[in-house]
Amino acid sequence: MKRQLGIITNDQHDVFQRNVISGVCDVAARRGYTVVIDSYAEEGTPPRPITLDYRAMAGVLVVANAAPIGLLQEMLAAGKPLSLVSHQVPELPIPAVFADNTQGIVELVKHVVERCNRRQLAYIGGLHGQRDSHEREAAFVREVMRYNLPDPYFLRGDFSTTTAAESVRELVQSGAEFDAIIAADYRMGAAAVETLRAAGIAVPDQVSVVGFGDAPEAEAAGLTTVAADVVEQGRRAARQLISQIEGLRIRGVTVLSVRLVIRETCGCRAKQII
Amino acid sequence: MRRSSTDKATHSHLRQHNRQLLLRALYSGLADNRAALAQETGLAKPTVSEVISELIEEGLLVEEGRGQSTEEGGKRPRLLKFVPTARHVIGISLDEERAYGALAILNGQIVAQHYVELAGAQGEAVVDAVLEVINGLIAQLDAPLLCIGIGVSGIVDAEQGLVEVAPHLGWRSVPLAALLNARYGVPIYIAHRTELAAMAQFVYGPTNGINSLAMVLVGTGVGVGLVINGAIYHGGGEIGHLFLSTPRPGNGHEDRLEARLGWVAVRQRAESLRREYPGSRLPGEGERLTYLHIRHAAANGDPAALALLDELSGYLAHIFAWIIGLLRPDHMALAGPITNLGTMLLDRTVERTQHLILPALTQHITYSLADAPNLVALGAVAHALQRELGLV
Repeated sequence: MKRQLGIITNDQHDVFQRNVISGVCDVAARRGYTVVIDSYAEEGTPPRPITLDYRAMAGVLVVANAAPIGLLQEMLAAGKPLSLVSHQVPELPIPAVFADNTQGIVELVKHVVERCNRRQLAYIGGLHGQRDSHEREAAFVREVMRYNLPDPYFLRGDFSTTTAAESVRELVQSGAEFDAIIAADYRMGAAAVETLRAAGIAVPDQVSVVGFGDAPEAEAAGLTTVAADVVEQGRRAARQLISQIEGLRIRGVTVLSVRLVIRETCGCRAKQII
Repeated sequence: MRRSSTDKATHSHLRQHNRQLLLRALYSGLADNRAALAQETGLAKPTVSEVISELIEEGLLVEEGRGQSTEEGGKRPRLLKFVPTARHVIGISLDEERAYGALAILNGQIVAQHYVELAGAQGEAVVDAVLEVINGLIAQLDAPLLCIGIGVSGIVDAEQGLVEVAPHLGWRSVPLAALLNARYGVPIYIAHRTELAAMAQFVYGPTNGINSLAMVLVGTGVGVGLVINGAIYHGGGEIGHLFLSTPRPGNGHEDRLEARLGWVAVRQRAESLRREYPGSRLPGEGERLTYLHIRHAAANGDPAALALLDELSGYLAHIFAWIIGLLRPDHMALAGPITNLGTMLLDRTVERTQHLILPALTQHITYSLADAPNLVALGAVAHALQRELGLV
């Protein structure tokens, strides 16, 4: 009988999670495991409790904060090998796989400042207290200092396109002068582009916009962004889990490099054409 | 004739030496076929063929296509290509805050990273953290693991693979290489962090055509790493406790390099300068201060920050001058958190160094800020590659 890997996630159809799962399944198949997915809060259906029979699994992978800490503690106490994707619980010795948030922000700021010649930045943050958000914002603050830029504007985003759009609208209405927006994720980035254009501000000619993370949506918006290969993130998480199942003790964080994807919203290409 | 153990050792050393010679020639593009390799390395053709066959069998080389025939005509030689993805190497940096590891292929390119926060761990718990980092990277292996390099602070015996003392880790006489070799079955190369950082800058930094490099690393303490004739000079560099000038009676500690350049001292000095210059933009007591804050303030003309930068460059210039006078390295690099002060610091330091020492001595020296992230881990990879395959 094939050994099983359990995945706990809230919405397996969401693009990020779909890609993670794809990576996990890829490695699982190669290493002789089947995958059981518990996707309990999909769009259009009422959320239900987590029902994964974790005891029957060789190990369990949790995507982001899909499992409450109580459940994580329970599985840990039962001796279940666990891995987290894009999440970390400091009190629990569960390893995780993260995209390199710092490297991503460093690349974005470098591009916007050095290639696109922008200096008065606005930053749209993610969810307060969430680890990716925190790392990205901390890196942003450091880069602003490193480049000796004027004090940037900090906008609330909460990883919500509505909140991001609202914050950008407020900034525009306040009459503040800015020439670039760095968004902590690509959805907020795309929302920022839309909001600016709706307010009559030319992107990228007047304001450059860049985001974090990549998906067809970002491509459709022509968004310059830093991309983590999310399928690869899934693969690495699966390998991390399987190695633990096979007896290796692992704690800490496996980091995935990101790469800059240059499209239209930063404006460096337009300058080249001229 | 009976073979003595010395004979055996010599024979395997010779084989290792020949392998490394050939790999290095191929890797650096000096030759790409058997005949050219024989010519380049001076080894006999049968020896070359034998070693090449071995390397092909191990997957480190492939034959790909045919090259030009020689001037005399005749058969076109089979081209040999080095396969960087044939093996993985792990490079680990162990500092007070965390154990960080990089997984690299044979050209030094990093393909995965893993870290574990130490959170004040001591003794055995630190060894566990190192194991967890290695395991985290082993989980991501795509090819067999060749060897592991590790950089540690403290007194390190690189030859024995022993950490004699690392006070901040609570380590005393830890046979780290033997321990890890027993667990993972691959060669383990231990060295001091600063030496490895110097090696990383030598191999991967803006340092073409140099033979020697001296690196001054300034963070909590002050240390020097040396690469001489392309290899790490082990064991040196513990200069933090040395004096800049003869201490006045009663001033036992003030003039030690660490007491001038170590972060604790810098922070204290920043605070007193901030009080000396009312209106200074430097963060005050209770507020968070980092090198980046100082840099930012200095870039905006803050007098306290500029005065601090000036003082620090003065101390560094003394260190640079002594090293140049002693070693005449081709290149001097500055590393550690202090590099967050940026080129302003390096430029001022170089300027002042040139005033301290005979101009003829500094004429051809080049300088750099070694501020790449993960310098120590990169250096651990480079060092391990050099020792194991002679590649670097």
